[in-house]
Amino acid sequence: MKRRVVVTGMGMVTCLGSGVETNWDAITQGRSGIGRITHFDTSGFSTHIAGEVKDGFDIYGCIPVKEFRRLDRHQQYALVAAHEAFMASGLQIPLADPYRCAVVVGSGMGGLETLETGHDTLKTKGPKRMSPLVIPMVVVNLTPGLLSMKYQFKGPNFGVVNACTSGASAIGEAFRLVSNGYADVAITGGTEAVVSAFSVSAFNAIRALSVRNDEPKRASRPFDKDRDGFVLAEGAGILILEDLETAAARGATIYSEIVGYGATGDAYHLVMPDPEGQGAYNAMKLALMEANVSPKDVSYINAHGTSTELNDKIESLAIKKLFGEHAGQVSISSTKSMTGHMIGAAGAVEAIFSIMAMRTNIVPPTINLDNPDPDCDLNYTPHKSVEKPIDCAISNSFAFGGQNAALVFKKV
Amino acid sequence: MDEIEKKVVDLIAEVLVDVNKDNIQLDSKIVEDLGAESLDIYDMIALLEDEFGMEISDEEVEKIQTVQDVADFIKAQKQA
Repeated sequence: MKRRVVVTGMGMVTCLGSGVETNWDAITQGRSGIGRITHFDTSGFSTHIAGEVKDGFDIYGCIPVKEFRRLDRHQQYALVAAHEAFMASGLQIPLADPYRCAVVVGSGMGGLETLETGHDTLKTKGPKRMSPLVIPMVVVNLTPGLLSMKYQFKGPNFGVVNACTSGASAIGEAFRLVSNGYADVAITGGTEAVVSAFSVSAFNAIRALSVRNDEPKRASRPFDKDRDGFVLAEGAGILILEDLETAAARGATIYSEIVGYGATGDAYHLVMPDPEGQGAYNAMKLALMEANVSPKDVSYINAHGTSTELNDKIESLAIKKLFGEHAGQVSISSTKSMTGHMIGAAGAVEAIFSIMAMRTNIVPPTINLDNPDPDCDLNYTPHKSVEKPIDCAISNSFAFGGQNAALVFKKV
Repeated sequence: MDEIEKKVVDLIAEVLVDVNKDNIQLDSKIVEDLGAESLDIYDMIALLEDEFGMEISDEEVEKIQTVQDVADFIKAQKQA
């Protein structure tokens, strides 16, 4: 028998700052966190802009100063976001049964920047000079490993590598662990820190990134006909999931219930979505079926909305297929218009925004949507947030490689 | 402490997260007193090699016990 799964803690780090409230204030006011890249010299690069996390993001001082050099930035962001989420949950260490506590965290590329600098060392100083920290800083499963050590979670523990869907897939898999009784509590979400020379040049090579370098805050413009690619960003989103009965028994604050998860693969192309949007459509459909929710009862969709021509068109098409005549009524927005695209963290941060939309009854806007693409003719909440009752929300994530995940949340 | 000894203490303090620099003495044993584990040792070696431009073999590392041993080793290498 399936158990009900609720969210009892949330935390995030993005280019807009640290903390869910700080981010939600910025998002609902339509503020962009995109700016010039400072992490590396962009001379000779096509793209000079990104959504970088600013120094001082560890607002809680939860990472000992000396630990920073032993942790890749994607691990640092996850630790800070997890600290906020764990504090919010009110859970106390040690937990009653640590073997019933899981950690499932996604990342698209893990410690890519550490890999780059390690490779530089190999080439310039030779193999003997390689730092022993490279391996633990690079591999994606070390974030769930670090979180298990910090919080003494000894149940199922794994990383999820699913490009731009990593965060959503991690949450979905953690949801299933709790729902099916393999764990009572889970730390889950996604983290990413790939604003680096290697990754920006590689994304430029597939012409995926915006080159609107003179107007960073106007560069991420999902569904707008003048968009020219996504804006790479970094950050982390972490959620605490819990079996409803366990959470209720300890009197936890319940932020939302996760009611459905749909996962599909396009089986189509390396970097292009299925032109008929079948993968995206089926992910949303499966998630709603599991949730036992009909499309007309969905009030908000946090779109994947990357600001690339193909994604925006295909996602809109998939929504129209699933929602039919109701498609025009559902409020949609892409918060990537403000945060940029956090790759493996995006799905997790956006899941939290979807929950915040329900908690505050505010639909966050899609900024920079000045002239909608004619193929994107749905209600994307342009420019300004809108107040309306939101009882059920979907968060969409789609990846290069054809992975699709949809999560459905309900107000509790 | 001379300059090399000071630098060695700095590097060891940088690597050992839980150790306060003020508690590192020249006669401190790196494993027993300061609690270094294998990853810390390899990390120290990499930093020392980079700082002093030399190579420290695993056999030589096994002979080193105290902070003073590290400094002495570096001084000997520099003279060699």
